[in-house]
Amino acid sequence: MSDATNIANKLARELSEAPPSSAISLQMSVDNYLDVLRGTLDMFANSRKIDTIYVTSTISSGALKRVLNALEIDTSRTYFVDCISHIMMGASAAQKDDHTTLVESPTMLENIMLKVEYLIRLSQSKEKLVVIDSINSLAIHNNNWILSEFLHILVSGLRARDVYTVILSVEEHSTPEINNMVNLVCDMGIRAIAKEE
Amino acid sequence: MSPRTGERARCITGIDGLDTILYGGIPRSNTILLTGSCGTGKTSLALEFLIHGAMQGENSLFVSVTENSDKLLANIMPYRFFEDDLIKSGLLEFVDLPVMYERLGMTKPEMSMEEIDLLVAGISSIAKELGTKRLVIDSITSVCYKLKTSEKIRDFVLKLSKALSDLECTSILVSEVSAPASSYSMFGVEEAISDGIILMANMERRGDLLRTLQVIKMRGTMHSRAKYVLDLTPVGVLLVPLLKGGSSTK
Repeated sequence: MSDATNIANKLARELSEAPPSSAISLQMSVDNYLDVLRGTLDMFANSRKIDTIYVTSTISSGALKRVLNALEIDTSRTYFVDCISHIMMGASAAQKDDHTTLVESPTMLENIMLKVEYLIRLSQSKEKLVVIDSINSLAIHNNNWILSEFLHILVSGLRARDVYTVILSVEEHSTPEINNMVNLVCDMGIRAIAKEE
Repeated sequence: MSPRTGERARCITGIDGLDTILYGGIPRSNTILLTGSCGTGKTSLALEFLIHGAMQGENSLFVSVTENSDKLLANIMPYRFFEDDLIKSGLLEFVDLPVMYERLGMTKPEMSMEEIDLLVAGISSIAKELGTKRLVIDSITSVCYKLKTSEKIRDFVLKLSKALSDLECTSILVSEVSAPASSYSMFGVEEAISDGIILMANMERRGDLLRTLQVIKMRGTMHSRAKYVLDLTPVGVLLVPLLKGGSSTK
């Protein structure tokens, strides 16, 4: 079994062991991004028929969907809150998609919470997963104080409703402050990084 | 320990976040001023308040002053919970005030004290006839323009509030203010007389424009005085707390 398959499998298994309402810090390497997508969205969420609300401030939802299609991952249960297309002036294409909700800018953290809330209300699935991709890209646009407040309110609200939360962070781009911020609101941490040769 | 919320029965607005802010809803029979500048979501929120009332079987009445009610209905947010049957069954009624002006013969640009009495009697008689338990006037500011003086406005709002309260009707008076207003109503009178003030605004933060809502005053209940950010969605008005980390970085 390859490292990539190992990482995705291990990740899906660890997520499955977490009870609903868990907030999980998922630290990854840039190189393992695709394995993380497969492990989280496909092997964990899709296999358990969980609707996923995927908040992306890293790459546009359009690009993300192309990646997921290339990986042959079913996206019918995935709803995107896209915080980046609008500021990239690429909103029109994304707007045509029923599975995509736009937030004008990653600085509009309250609007991210509102869109997540809206999609949770629309979702018919018993269990739900919210993925924040990533805390590092949100940190580019927001100071740590407001970002910490955002995470606290968002995660507390999701936990109260038995929603899984996964907060992605990229190890190469993280700082001790960001790690502390995430650890403060999360119940458990998973490291999805291939072992060094 | 649960917070004391007083003895007053509640009119549950059906807007989750707002009911939470108000510790369970608007105290029944209160007259509320829903105030804010244009584009802040006042009409949408007021309409949702009525729709939820109608869905709970309460007769609800929208008195439209500035906009023809047909046009209003065509432009409202396509709510997922809205059903045409609410209108067909008469649970949700719309009245255009300009039509009422004509019928009452109020054609002059300024109303006399007698005409104010006539208008209050006209509105309350419709509310009584329909058994209205929730009423919205959109907007009270447009009516006030025909009253001109603060004495007349005070007289009108007081009499209207009393008449609707006597009918056990919970009312929302929509008020328009200019964006950087220092008071909560155009004429400065309505805010002092109403039982509650809900302020809706556009807040700019680092170039982003956020819609906000804040309950300034609400007689008969404890309430949050914090500012919330809102979104108008097909499932209704959604509210989340304004993040304080951003409030100093306008």
